[in-house]
Amino acid sequence: MNNHPLLDVRNLYTYFYTHDGIVKAVDGVSYNVKAGETIALVGESGCGKTVSALSVLRLIQDPPGKIVSGEIIFDGINLLSLSRGQINEIRGARIAMIFQEPLTALNPVLTVGSQIAGALERHRNMKGQVAIEEAVRLLTLVGIPQPDRRVKEYPHQFSGGMRQRAMIALAISCQPQLIIADEPTTVVDVTIQAQLLELIKGLTRELNTALVLITHNLGIVARYAHRVYVMYAGHIVEHGTSAEIYRNPLHPYTRGLLASVPRLDEPRKARLQSIEGQPPDLINPPKGCAFAPRCQLHVDVCLKEPPEITEISPGHFVACWLVNAQGKTTNEGK
Amino acid sequence: MTKYIIRRVFWLLLVLFVVSFITFSLMHLVPGGPWDREKTLAPQVVEALNKKYGLDKPFFVQFGNYLAGLLRGDLGVSYTYQDRGVTEIILGGLPKTATLGLIAFALAILIGVPFGMAAALKQNSIIDYCSVLFSTIFASIPGFVLGILMIIIFSVTLHWLPTGGWGDIRQIIMPSFALATLPAAFIARITRASTLEVLRQDYVRTAYAMGLKQRVILLRHVLRNSLIPVTTVAGPELAFLISGSFIIENLFSIPGIGRLFVNGVFARDYGLIMGSVLFYAFAVAVVNLVVDILYAVIDPRIRYS
Amino acid sequence: MSVTDSGRRHHSLWGDAFIRLRRNRLAITGGVIILLITILAVVYPFFSRYDFAYQDLNAILQGPSAEHLMGTDELGRDVFTRLVYGARTSLAVGIFTQLIVLLIGLPVGAVSGAKGGRTDNLIMRFVDVVYAFPDLLLIILLRSILGGSIYMIFLAIGLVSWVNVSRLVRGQVLALKQRDFVTAARLFGGTGFYINARHLLPNSLGPVIVAVTFNIPRAIFAEAALSYIGIGVKPPTPSWGAMIRDGFNVIFAAPHLILFPAIAIGILMLSFTFLGDGLRDALDPRLRR
Repeated sequence: MNNHPLLDVRNLYTYFYTHDGIVKAVDGVSYNVKAGETIALVGESGCGKTVSALSVLRLIQDPPGKIVSGEIIFDGINLLSLSRGQINEIRGARIAMIFQEPLTALNPVLTVGSQIAGALERHRNMKGQVAIEEAVRLLTLVGIPQPDRRVKEYPHQFSGGMRQRAMIALAISCQPQLIIADEPTTVVDVTIQAQLLELIKGLTRELNTALVLITHNLGIVARYAHRVYVMYAGHIVEHGTSAEIYRNPLHPYTRGLLASVPRLDEPRKARLQSIEGQPPDLINPPKGCAFAPRCQLHVDVCLKEPPEITEISPGHFVACWLVNAQGKTTNEGK
Repeated sequence: MTKYIIRRVFWLLLVLFVVSFITFSLMHLVPGGPWDREKTLAPQVVEALNKKYGLDKPFFVQFGNYLAGLLRGDLGVSYTYQDRGVTEIILGGLPKTATLGLIAFALAILIGVPFGMAAALKQNSIIDYCSVLFSTIFASIPGFVLGILMIIIFSVTLHWLPTGGWGDIRQIIMPSFALATLPAAFIARITRASTLEVLRQDYVRTAYAMGLKQRVILLRHVLRNSLIPVTTVAGPELAFLISGSFIIENLFSIPGIGRLFVNGVFARDYGLIMGSVLFYAFAVAVVNLVVDILYAVIDPRIRYS
Repeated sequence: MSVTDSGRRHHSLWGDAFIRLRRNRLAITGGVIILLITILAVVYPFFSRYDFAYQDLNAILQGPSAEHLMGTDELGRDVFTRLVYGARTSLAVGIFTQLIVLLIGLPVGAVSGAKGGRTDNLIMRFVDVVYAFPDLLLIILLRSILGGSIYMIFLAIGLVSWVNVSRLVRGQVLALKQRDFVTAARLFGGTGFYINARHLLPNSLGPVIVAVTFNIPRAIFAEAALSYIGIGVKPPTPSWGAMIRDGFNVIFAAPHLILFPAIAIGILMLSFTFLGDGLRDALDPRLRR
């Protein structure tokens, strides 16, 4: 892996303009992925991780959404400056996406095979029988039994896990350099979850595809991601290698997330730990640190000024006043 | 799929049976009977007429005879047109009514669907706003009001088109448009609403995410899904065209079934009324059956459930 | 921090609906037009110069003038007066048929939904049969059998139109039956009737109001159609449908005779439809903010 990131999201701001006000879904987010690397974007529902992913492919509905500012550099090109035709060439062929709910993400009136073939026809110039055969090969690759029968069936005839495998097949069909997987395992049960993640991991390793894994489940991230970004209320609050984040979580939110994951190697406690309070209203986000109102350790400055993200130890970045104070010297004043 | 069709056919027959029973009973509830017109007839004449038409037999025997006749395709006798049976009368007017209805249906779809889709694709633009406004207006004004306006404009004032009749191409223009406008507006609204709904669906987002071309997305993914609700209303719309047409037929003096029906009502020709009602019921039921089958063809979820 | 702290206002369903309705200009226009026509229809007879049946045979087929705002018809009767009386007929039909519709449709739908099982099945099959049928045909059929005065017209139209309301109510009842507050009410010992009246019906009110508002123009149209083919209200009581039929005979000589009632029907039906659309959007729970 060279050091140039394949995807570099810089200072992304994506807002939604609604009747009730401006929802600041993504409020200054930066992350990157290198070729062949897997990063995880972790946070609870509504923190902006999906919106940031959709922004990469410019799939934000305008109105009411709008990418207000920032840069998204993919393989040297700023995706936000491309024309509609140009971004369309990239979608599916160089960046592909796996969606959370495969039942609704697949067209119910078309066979699974024809949907995959549609993508093959578009980007790999395969038509008719050739496309169908490739679709069968892809279905086999993702572990769907009897693929030549399945390729002619409709999405509602597949089970939940199989549908997600079909989505994965669709995503890899045009050999993209980057896959964004948005909560790919939320809708299936735990055993299938593990299988699907193994599958995705195996495929990305084999095809040397970069992977952005979006999830709210910090527990699964350790095995599958090289680096982790923790998001809260439209901001990145912490990021680093997954080993480092697990061993030494610094941001109170990250620590809260990790603490709430039940672990087999610890004695049974009386109750599961949770983080008190609710995520903030994104139309009127709090003035200082977004997490401060919920944070057990907050002090005055936390409520007044938003903390900058700073490198506490090599490769480990945190946005928190307390950590900044305890760790290395930070930028003085604003 | 075959089971689906069989169930629908069975349902059709059941409906027809119930309708014929109800109609038949209603006819027999009429106080006085079919001979009660301007003049009172001598009792012997009434008796003779009753005998001739089999009206003196008990109710269920009459009904049984009637049903037997129906199975043979005989819709009974007309009390005003002594020389022809109801079936013959109806078949005489059928071609004109059917032509009018089908042309109007085709117009309704050819106008409604594209307008509806265009409005949805360019939501909140001028096209959308006008389309919504016009479709609301035209969906509320009955065909015959429009027909009257058209006659006044195009016949009375401009003298471009004749006021009615049948045979000349020019005579079909106004009635078919008058008949088609309401369904067209309704179809446009439904198409717009369903296209908007489809455009919001996840699978459309997936199609965009896979970089498919706009035209492909519209034709392959959006169109078919948008048409599903349209098909659902197509059946009742066609049924509406069949029934609504009789007022238009009257207005434009088209010698179709509708006119016959209206004349029959006015003349208290219960044989004709009953036969016409049954015929309409049959036509509506058949149309609904065809639509149900079409529905299953378009939406595989119905086929394989 | 809870959601209500964000400063967004909350309204009850009806308050929210009313606000949204007020914003809908088409609906307001429709409502105003209906109101104006109603007021005119009620008040005008006290002030009119002409009786609707008065024939001035010296002044037949006259166009609009100072004497006769909308001209006279083939028997010298004042068209404007007849038009206003025709409005009375149409509005009466529109309103009273809906009373019958509610009287039959609400209980049938509620019972069918609440009871479920075979009763429900039977009733719904019957409703389906009636519903599948073109309603105008059935109305004409009923009318030709029943005969009689305008009250029989109400009955004929009402007896055919109640089906969509009953379907609607049944659907609402079925959906609400599942909801927890009904189970709770039952647990607290509420009987079937109580549950129906206190919980289920008020919740169905919204869609029922919308359905009735859309039914009214159909009823008006049905009456006009009946009068047009000659089996409507008995002359000389004016009806827009009859005026159209009579006016057709002299359409070339005096097009205004057919034009005014046709436009009147159009406007009244349109107004109810706009109002109905507005009500439906206003009461749609998905659009609540």
